[in-house]
Amino acid sequence: MRATRRHAYTLTKGAADLLVLNEIIGQAGDPDISRRLHELDHLGKIEYITFSKEDALRHRVRVVTDHGTECAVVLRRSARIVDGAVLLLDDDRAIVTRLSERNWLSLVPRDIAAALELGYQAGNNHWTVRFDGPVMRIAVEGPERNYLDRLAAFFSDRRVTRIDDGR
Amino acid sequence: MTDTYPGAARVGIGGPVGSGKTALIEQIVPRVIKRGIEVGVITNDLVTQEDAQRLKRSGLIDPERVIAVETGACPHTAIREDPSLNIHEANVLEDTFENLDLILIESGGDNLASTFSLALVDYWLFVIDVAGGDDIPRKRGPGVVLSDLLVINKTDLAPYVGADVDLMVREAKAVRGEKPLYLTNCRTGEGVDAVLEQVLHDALVARSPK
Ligand SMILES: Nc1nc2c(ncn2[C@@H]2O[C@H](COP(=O)(O)OP(=O)(O)OP(=O)(O)O)[C@@H](O)[C@H]2O)c(=O)[nH]1
Ligand SMILES: [Mg+2]
Repeated sequence: MRATRRHAYTLTKGAADLLVLNEIIGQAGDPDISRRLHELDHLGKIEYITFSKEDALRHRVRVVTDHGTECAVVLRRSARIVDGAVLLLDDDRAIVTRLSERNWLSLVPRDIAAALELGYQAGNNHWTVRFDGPVMRIAVEGPERNYLDRLAAFFSDRRVTRIDDGR
Repeated sequence: MTDTYPGAARVGIGGPVGSGKTALIEQIVPRVIKRGIEVGVITNDLVTQEDAQRLKRSGLIDPERVIAVETGACPHTAIREDPSLNIHEANVLEDTFENLDLILIESGGDNLASTFSLALVDYWLFVIDVAGGDDIPRKRGPGVVLSDLLVINKTDLAPYVGADVDLMVREAKAVRGEKPLYLTNCRTGEGVDAVLEQVLHDALVARSPK
């Protein structure tokens, strides 16, 4: 059993004003919770925090809700942030998480040779990819330009084409 | 209100071979101890325990708070693809030292592509140095781009190796956007306070109750 103790995240400027969120109370879809959220929603008292898929893996992170409330999310290692996780549920306020969709770069190689080379390039860069038949999708972390520049040679001689098929 | 112990903040320190990761830890450790923060360190080495031994002998930290992980050939595997070994050792540290606030995890020296899994750490730093070439930020390695905090170390060597530090900073900012970046000299400790302040702020390090 781990010790129970008080935590003061007061080492640095502004920490005293942070709202510490240290547990996942439940899911927005849970019947009991959803009823209460519904009431708060009418009063405009639900605040949302949007996480990228990567940031949702974190257990400690500073975030600002869409209402501008500065929060310190400090979760146990076993907790996992998913879409609709309820981090606070009071009579006059709720805080709920949202996961933003991942941004994928969708690429179609012209022929097998281009496909092999593109696959090699992606692997060599440790990019996260998804294969969708003839389309290779690369998960974009950070600025998209960093990926496009690396692939510039493929685009310039049209060995690879970027498509937007809404996925 | 009391809350249950959420564990120590876990902070990764990655970067190419010899960039100054261990030197940065040697600068950070006495500073956090002075502030009443309980700290532990995990080092990753290829086949030896060189860095762990160096820290244990340094006199800066209780040797029992330093744990070595031997990664074998591929140091990045232990911090990204399969961080289970490091997670295990971090849990061991937390179980042994009940009030631990901060665990620093040094990756084995690797290349510019190494990144930490957020399943292992809450926050991670990437350390490069001016002697490694002032074109490194421009090369946009994932470590430089994706790390939460970038450290450009060995600023004292810039005149000797003809590195343009301003250029490095400019180009690093261009690929990193708003994310923080600091210049350090880990031989003297210059710039380390600012790095530490940012880490404590962003990784939400708590202080053990006295
Ligand atoms: N001049 C100068 N030397 C430094 C600085 N920081 C570290 N060094 C030296 O650089 C060498 C490598 O430093 P380390 O801290 O061992 O580097 P590392 O990144 O931990 O290396 P690996 O763990 O082997 O990848 C040592 O000789 C340090 O003394 C600095 O700011 N300036
Ligand atoms: Mg080292």
